[in-house]
Amino acid sequence: MRKQYIGFAVWLFLCCLMYFFENNTGSRIVLACSCLLPFVPAVRRGLLEKDADSKQPQAIAQTIKAFANREEDDAGDVRAYLPGDPVSRIHWKLSAKRDELLARAQAKDLTAEEPETKAVFEDDAPAPEKVLKRAFLIGFVVILFSLLLLFVFPAANQGAQALLNRLFDASEAVNAYAYERFDVSADQPVAFAVVLLSVIGLSLLAMMMLSGSRLLALGLMAGSMLFQVYFGLAFPAWVNVPLFALFVLWMIKRPWNRQTILYAFAIIAAVSIAVFLLYPGVDAATEAASEAVRDRLSQAAQSITGAAPELNAEESESRHVHTQSLTEGNQEARADREFRLVTVEEEQVSMPHWVNYLRIILLLVLIVALVVLPFLPFLWLNQRKRKALEARKAFESENVSEAVVAIFQHVTAWLAATGHGEGNALYADWNADLSPGYAQRYAACEKLFEEAAYSTHEMKEQARQQALALLNETEQILRQRADWKQRLRLKYKEWLWI
Amino acid sequence: MRPEMEKVIAEIEKVISGKRDVITKILTALLADGHVLLDDVPGVGKTTLAVAISRAVNLNYKRVQFTPDVLPSDLVGFSMYDRQSGGFSYHPGALNDANLLLGDEINRASSKTQSALLEAMEEKQVTVDGVTYPLQKPFLVIATQNSVGAAGTQFLPYAQVDRFLVRLSLGYPDYAAQMEMLRNRQGINPMSQVQCVITRDELVRMQQEASQAVSKEAILDYITRLTMASREHEAVDVGISPRGALFLDKMAKAHAFLDGRDYVTGNDVQAVFRDVCAHRVVLKENARQTVDDVMNDLLKTVENPDLHSRGKLKP
Repeated sequence: MRKQYIGFAVWLFLCCLMYFFENNTGSRIVLACSCLLPFVPAVRRGLLEKDADSKQPQAIAQTIKAFANREEDDAGDVRAYLPGDPVSRIHWKLSAKRDELLARAQAKDLTAEEPETKAVFEDDAPAPEKVLKRAFLIGFVVILFSLLLLFVFPAANQGAQALLNRLFDASEAVNAYAYERFDVSADQPVAFAVVLLSVIGLSLLAMMMLSGSRLLALGLMAGSMLFQVYFGLAFPAWVNVPLFALFVLWMIKRPWNRQTILYAFAIIAAVSIAVFLLYPGVDAATEAASEAVRDRLSQAAQSITGAAPELNAEESESRHVHTQSLTEGNQEARADREFRLVTVEEEQVSMPHWVNYLRIILLLVLIVALVVLPFLPFLWLNQRKRKALEARKAFESENVSEAVVAIFQHVTAWLAATGHGEGNALYADWNADLSPGYAQRYAACEKLFEEAAYSTHEMKEQARQQALALLNETEQILRQRADWKQRLRLKYKEWLWI
Repeated sequence: MRPEMEKVIAEIEKVISGKRDVITKILTALLADGHVLLDDVPGVGKTTLAVAISRAVNLNYKRVQFTPDVLPSDLVGFSMYDRQSGGFSYHPGALNDANLLLGDEINRASSKTQSALLEAMEEKQVTVDGVTYPLQKPFLVIATQNSVGAAGTQFLPYAQVDRFLVRLSLGYPDYAAQMEMLRNRQGINPMSQVQCVITRDELVRMQQEASQAVSKEAILDYITRLTMASREHEAVDVGISPRGALFLDKMAKAHAFLDGRDYVTGNDVQAVFRDVCAHRVVLKENARQTVDDVMNDLLKTVENPDLHSRGKLKP
């Protein structure tokens, strides 16, 4: 399931919720639009599907079709070949068929492919500067014209003033409502809340930029919905519709396509008009139903905040004592003291039995651990020693190849443990301290090792002796050079020095 | 190094100096009975090298200079109506009696010609009009591909590049090598001094011997882990094919043989890994690494059964 689908489903659900609780015209429009929008192909492409440009293959297919058609159309547009026509214009296929030379008609060649390809690609890539310029020009003219109307026509003028008044009224109403709703002192510092909110906003923005998705738009839509539902402050239709339209525009696939935007706007406008015309008022039945649900919800909320959540038997008993003592005392200070006493009691009583079991188990574990622990290092050491001895046993193996491999690996382990080589490689800086032939002997043994490890040859006893000699020599040198720390390590960590 | 191959290399070095490693690699590929793709700029001596090899090993040398209008029938031959005999007679193409075929600028050939050549390379035989003609033994193709002046060329697609055993590159000679080359050409043509040191039959025998080298379980395991790791590498889109793994084994065997051994070690695999596998790996579009980086990565991360550590000095 794609993320966008889930987002859209959530969005639809929220719309339904809003419609249920605040069923005014605005919410109805939003709901209707939401249901219809996915059926607009352009919007769906942007909203629900991946960003891959689905237009291009279509365009290519169209061009191919156009070319294919041209080939066939040409059949009708040939004429007899006249001396002087370019040879390249001869229609060889038809000429061969009809046994006379035919040439393509002249005008067709130029016009056939140009307009078609143009038509195909025009939609995809309009010259961006040109479109921008034109859009700016149109916008400028529209603004000028509207301003003129606003200032010259008295009706428009007064209408604008009335609109301003209404806006002020609305903001007043919102202010009054907010004051009533949030009953806090005015000098309460707001810095913390501001920081938190801005952090949320910034993270949302960052998330959107990172994922390049339309999650922010969706989130904001959901936020506005929740805000409206929670505070019971549904905006009037003329606010909700453009707001919604803005969010939808945001969610549409980018780069924006003129066609897509027009589509979205057209559908929103059409649905708004339809809803306005058909349902000018409030639907009484739905209103009653939502009213009932709200009542029930508030009752439930009261019962939850009034009574404590589920309690087990012991706790409810102590609570019973608590309430009794309260009713007896009837004085506030005394009740307070009683309450504290009872809570202490409660804590004591509520200590369950399994804690005791836990204590016993812990004790047992401790005893076992104390008995076993001192011996653990010895067990471990013994294990390692046995492994090391087993590795040494391979030196005397019947199979000489095996023995050579084991011996050479032992040599390399010595070198690795003392920092003179790693894997099969000797470090060159060690060469200076060695007897002259050591490097050569080492290389020879390496050859032997490779042969023993990778070939199916029968190895001679001599090879084992050679490898053992190298091992002895290496051990001797390294034992002499080791300081006490290295000795300890070699003896008890690496188990090479036995 | 085998003394016979040492001699061959010495002969080839009379005409090409300072390229011992590439010469050795090509001879290794020859021993492994595989084909070589040379990816190179023009004029670094690909043809000279091929001719020198053919003279030193006494191979029958053929050369095809590919252009877009070379046709498959130029390579594999064709049947033509013979009026005298009243039947069709077969006219052999360039592949039929060649031991060493230099396919120059194979990327200039049309794709059908390319595929005809590559098919013949794979099967070691050509079929014309239902009659199958076996090719000469040994049969080695050295194809070259110029990346310079690539206009109007068709680079080999991945599936066909995969059929070459190794992809190599000669590269420019260094100062000393180029000086020596210029000096050598002052007198007689050094090519005439290249003598035949081993016969064709000896080469076939050596090929057989090389293919009988032993790759133990540990080596096969190493090869498998290398190829699997290449398929799972984060920067790689298409990893090393099973054919690549087979070729890697084959080439490692030839490398071991050239070294005078009849068993393969992890070092043999490491030595030939880059040449055999670099052209079989297709990177992702957004990969930040080059193929070389990926190869190094694989060699570094996949554990060598030899325990040989890399990057450390050896005595």
